[in-house]
Amino acid sequence: MDGLITFFASHYALRAETVLTRGGLSAKLIAGPRDLSPNCGVALRFEYARREHALALLDAQRVRIDGVHRFVPRTDGWRNTEAAEWRR
Amino acid sequence: MGTIYFDNAASSWPKPPEVPAAMAECLANAGGNPGRAGHRLSIAAARVVEQTRELLADLFNAGDPSRIVFTHNATHALNLALYGLLRPGDQVVTTSVEHNSVMRPLRHLETRGVEITVVACAPDGTLAVHEVRRALRPGTRLLVTTHASNVLGTVMPIGELAAAAHAAGALCLVDASQTAGALPIDLEQTGVDLLAFTGHKALLGPTGTGGLVIRAGLEVPPLMRGGTGSDSDREQQPEFHPDVHESGTLNVAGIAGLAAGVRFLRDVGIDAVAAHERALVADFRERAADIAGMTLYGPEDAARRCGVLSFNLAGASSSEVAQLLDDSFGIMARAGLHCAPSAHRTAGTFPNGTVRFAFGWFNTADEVRTAAAALGELASWAARKIAWTV
Repeated sequence: MDGLITFFASHYALRAETVLTRGGLSAKLIAGPRDLSPNCGVALRFEYARREHALALLDAQRVRIDGVHRFVPRTDGWRNTEAAEWRR
Repeated sequence: MGTIYFDNAASSWPKPPEVPAAMAECLANAGGNPGRAGHRLSIAAARVVEQTRELLADLFNAGDPSRIVFTHNATHALNLALYGLLRPGDQVVTTSVEHNSVMRPLRHLETRGVEITVVACAPDGTLAVHEVRRALRPGTRLLVTTHASNVLGTVMPIGELAAAAHAAGALCLVDASQTAGALPIDLEQTGVDLLAFTGHKALLGPTGTGGLVIRAGLEVPPLMRGGTGSDSDREQQPEFHPDVHESGTLNVAGIAGLAAGVRFLRDVGIDAVAAHERALVADFRERAADIAGMTLYGPEDAARRCGVLSFNLAGASSSEVAQLLDDSFGIMARAGLHCAPSAHRTAGTFPNGTVRFAFGWFNTADEVRTAAAALGELASWAARKIAWTV
């Protein structure tokens, strides 16, 4: 899983895990990388290739996200691919 | 002598065995601090909290689970709503049967310049919606009402009341301390803006749990500020739900127990609980009608009641009756003013109070029969006491 979604609060990370899993996508909670988010809790790994589907599912369930990131091996590590977005 | 527990309006007992089991399981296997770290025990604790939020959102048809914020109890939730929403110069409308968890914050806010209009209920606790409409005026900030009186058992028409509040441009806050878990509550259908609930009464969870549901789009300033595990690079309180209202570590083990209580109710069905309690009240009232010297309070129509009822016996104080019920018959009831002096003034039972029976899912028709027989004996005793003193 080369994608990572960061959240403002762990509430949304936990909900996102449920929403993506119910939607048939792989998802795994991990400790949120400190350089990507000031949230002390968790972030969610997912398959970046399913990004649009994942974001549509989260949007439909009103799960707010902070940002979407992609792990690029052997170059510059995690890379933020999307500006932080405030979703209601 | 067995134990008959009729004090479910104060706290429900017994709890389903799943409740203490879930709490023990949580302490053993989900012992981290939710939302504060990424390790397994923290995630397990966060899972407990978020699953409970989802269960409650479904139970109240509240939509977005993030709009449910956990508090220590209903009083905490009511204080959050009242102190968050009301400012000097605001007018708030309420009823004459409110518990002190509403009345005391309101009387304190009154000293800070909030205007309070109390709409008088009938002695049986019935609230006339047209009287509420008359009390509301353009610019009224809030209508706050109990969903059911903790003294009389009278159920308020919260859908109509929310509509009346909205027509005047006001918000509607409902205190569901006596009804969450005992009567169906549909926030989308009723249009209620804020709902305060406790976990340890009809929701069958442990003490120290409760919450406030805040309609999406309505932002309430927090009552407390502090650490949330989020926005940790800032010294200002986050503004997003649920963190804005959840500073400090939550009662995770309590919330685990609350989830077990809600799951139990989901399996039983809230409609079944409501029908069961209503049947017990009707059965008791029918039997009580044959007891000389007994006065029953609250509405006669079972459809307008929850599982709470009040009564008095001629010739005996409420505390005397409650003590004798416990000592001689093993029946636990609550006597006195039930933290609701205004409700007792409304019923005409201030300052002596009443004896209150509050039935729950685990009470039985047999227990009601036993209690009615016990009260028959106590009524004869009280009548003889009167005869001796005249």
